[in-house]
Amino acid sequence: MLLEIERLRLSIGGTQILGDVRLGLEAGEIYGLLGPNGAGKSTTIAAALGLRRPDGGTVTVLGQTAGANEPALRRRLGVLPERNGFYDWMTAESYLAFYASLYGRSLARPQIAARLAQVGLAPRRGQSIGTFSQGMRQRLGLARALIGNPDLLILDEPTNGLDPRGRREIHDILTGLAQNGAGILLCTHLLDDVDRLCQRIGIIVDGRTVAEGPIAELIRKSGRRARFRLRLAGPRPNERPAESLVSIVARQDDWCVVDLDPAARPDTVWRELAFRGWPIAEIRRDGGGLEDLYLTLTEGSAA
Amino acid sequence: MSATTLIARKEAGELLLSPRGLAWLTAVAVALSAFALLLVSNTELSLLDNAQVVYDMAGIVTGLGSLLGLVVGIDAVAGERERGCLVPLLLAPASRSAILLGKLGGVAIAWAVMYALSLPYLWAVGSTGQNMADGMLVCGLLGTPIVLGFGFFGMGLGCWTRSSRTALLTGIVALLVAASPLLLGPGLRQSAVGAMFDAVNPFSAAVDAYDAVIIDSQTIAAQGAHILVAAAWIVLTLVFARSGFAKVTR
Repeated sequence: MLLEIERLRLSIGGTQILGDVRLGLEAGEIYGLLGPNGAGKSTTIAAALGLRRPDGGTVTVLGQTAGANEPALRRRLGVLPERNGFYDWMTAESYLAFYASLYGRSLARPQIAARLAQVGLAPRRGQSIGTFSQGMRQRLGLARALIGNPDLLILDEPTNGLDPRGRREIHDILTGLAQNGAGILLCTHLLDDVDRLCQRIGIIVDGRTVAEGPIAELIRKSGRRARFRLRLAGPRPNERPAESLVSIVARQDDWCVVDLDPAARPDTVWRELAFRGWPIAEIRRDGGGLEDLYLTLTEGSAA
Repeated sequence: MSATTLIARKEAGELLLSPRGLAWLTAVAVALSAFALLLVSNTELSLLDNAQVVYDMAGIVTGLGSLLGLVVGIDAVAGERERGCLVPLLLAPASRSAILLGKLGGVAIAWAVMYALSLPYLWAVGSTGQNMADGMLVCGLLGTPIVLGFGFFGMGLGCWTRSSRTALLTGIVALLVAASPLLLGPGLRQSAVGAMFDAVNPFSAAVDAYDAVIIDSQTIAAQGAHILVAAAWIVLTLVFARSGFAKVTR
């Protein structure tokens, strides 16, 4: 395990923020950490990073107890914190060079430029950070998190402020990193990001983990399969799609309501249906799936 | 390059390249210009003995330097924490001691810049007398621990308080109290309470040493007691900053 949290308890100023948090993140995995505002996600991350001292439980990061505060441990970590500040008077290039030096990596200008290009900031490398938009700052924060080629990435709302293209680019970067063996803890409110990227999730409500495990398994257990309404441009072919992927709940001439198997990714299913000759003209989400699971589990929470 | 040097360089950049840092340096230069102009052109003040003028200017330089050190120290921790810059730095693979040392180095660089900036002003008001070189020297020797101490004190305040505004208000009150020997007349300083306060006040130690060296033409080596108070001040504030920085998170 790259990151393992067991029965984590933590108080700030006498108020208990975390009561019982648990999660486990393997190498090559993207793990979604979900929960309403104020549920304790950022505090959990702070405890994992050794910035907050737990009252109880265990937090193991890269095989070491969190808070050991070892520079060697932090060299293998990449972090995009919730409040992501920069030195506005620096250029993007000098900022990355500063952090690269702190990580003991003396990067030449072309290497810095390549890092900035990776997050789509190559044309802005000589520009002062003070002039950056929120999305550009988010990209620069990600470039900083990646500067040490980390084994474990902890990202708090990484796609905040990004346009759809930017989000897609960040998704591709994260997927590529996970494929290369990095473990990624993704803390976000965007369930679409989680749906696209994560294999497993943990949901925290009022400082306690209320659900943890593979997304498909959690949805299957809850009985809330993702439901979609499809508009068809022509008659539906007689050949039925594999039951393991999709089941038809209702149908009329030009539309059809289907439930997706929790293990199936929507993109894969639509490709399969198109391959079988379904003339899909429009796809609309009709509830169910991760969103329903999340809303049910977080119902009635303080935030 | 070590993490300490990198961070000290970054802090220096914050002072010399950021609009905020440049604004502070400009304000300091304007204040020094105003005081120097007053000392040489005001009908009554221009009649002061040359040594007295250098003494006054050295005190003003130390006071302004302490204010700058305080602001830089507070901004290095509380300011960065509020702007969200501190956490990424704390998560970089550098020890807390190295980060703290780098930030302390930033305060030292700020004072070095401020001291260099003050030299032409000391020259402008004291070049016609015999005491200018002594004034510059004693201001550098005794002013340095006082100013650095206020910088470290500011860093400590930044760690222990919740906001930079609270830290700044607390620091300015402490600075005004410490600098009271410059503001109050000698009568109050000679009272029992004034004498007790003077004995432990680092600012008094510096001002008294300036008085002894610049006006009374004593040697710097004879200022052992004053140097001791200044040294105690810098050690105490360093401990204060270090203990605060060990606890600072965000």
